[in-house]
Amino acid sequence: MSAFDALGISVLAISYDEPDALKDFQDAYDITYTLLSDPDSKVIRDYGILNTLIAEDDHPWFGIPFPGTYVTDSQGTITHKFFENNLVLRVGPEELLRAVDGDALSEYIGNPVSDTTDAEPKVFLKGEHLAVGVLQHLVCQIDVPQGRHLYADPAPQGMIPFTLTLDAQSKLVIRELIRPASEAHTMASTGEIIQVNHGRVELRLPITANGAITSTTVPTMLDLSGEVSWQTCDEDVCDVPRRSRFEFSVPIEGAVVPEFMTKPGNPKVRAMDGMKHFKKMSSRRQS
Amino acid sequence: MTIEIETRGEKTEHGWRDVDGFIGPMQPGFGPRTDPKGVFPTGPDIGEQLPAFSCLDVMGNPFDYAHDAKPTIMLFFRSAVW
Repeated sequence: MSAFDALGISVLAISYDEPDALKDFQDAYDITYTLLSDPDSKVIRDYGILNTLIAEDDHPWFGIPFPGTYVTDSQGTITHKFFENNLVLRVGPEELLRAVDGDALSEYIGNPVSDTTDAEPKVFLKGEHLAVGVLQHLVCQIDVPQGRHLYADPAPQGMIPFTLTLDAQSKLVIRELIRPASEAHTMASTGEIIQVNHGRVELRLPITANGAITSTTVPTMLDLSGEVSWQTCDEDVCDVPRRSRFEFSVPIEGAVVPEFMTKPGNPKVRAMDGMKHFKKMSSRRQS
Repeated sequence: MTIEIETRGEKTEHGWRDVDGFIGPMQPGFGPRTDPKGVFPTGPDIGEQLPAFSCLDVMGNPFDYAHDAKPTIMLFFRSAVW
């Protein structure tokens, strides 16, 4: 929480759990942000994000939201929101901080960016590890020399756009590549209008590890590999298309799972009595 | 808006693997794994004010949210219990 505190960010987390369940959760994990209880799902309904796919008599599951996160500026205006179809997935702290204050986080894994004027891409993961279910961005960054440009996607015929491709593997969840907004550029020689990027250009690929949410066998390291392709041009000349492979390993942080779903001795077991609250929750919702 | 349920998945020796590779005891499309497929409601839009609301804090006391001149991160999560 220190990074959030340092930036003066108010963090609120709300669920349909009863207050005492959240209090136990808070104590068990030394949570310092504000946990809020919405036991009748009124706030969830008012926000319009009740998971209506779950039948009202399907206890205790009915009442949960489509999980998601809103980020506001200091005027209370929503500037970003993050929702995922899979309720296991959620946005990571790195992206929440970035949403509020740009690249506030300095930690990274992989191939860090150096102060170079060469158009050489760097690939790295923001954060200290990859946490199961938490989406983080694999970043590919390139500094385009002044007077030159990269092609956005789609590139003109015969040229290639700046692209990051991650090799698929079964333990990885890979979402759609996020590209920066491109600029219209008129070629002096032909008058053709093309979409390009200048200066520092970043591609961001949301990824996470899926592991196995009820297993203790989450790997401790995961190898990431893939390819970057790019081509820089100026008004007259284009360099030949280039491709570069990258490969590095990232530590994996396992999922925190309810204790009644884990094996004895699992170091990720919760300190709170989850089964007690689960029974209470189920009983209250059935009455 | 018609919302579809994501039911893709396969049974493995450790449980049901969903479309993203996560393994759990319940079949995708049922109970807590009733996830949407495609477009689904995500509430207030970017550019709107985060709506005020009332709920309870962890001690069971009333909590009223109103904007307080700080950037705010507001998370709606499934449950701390399961």
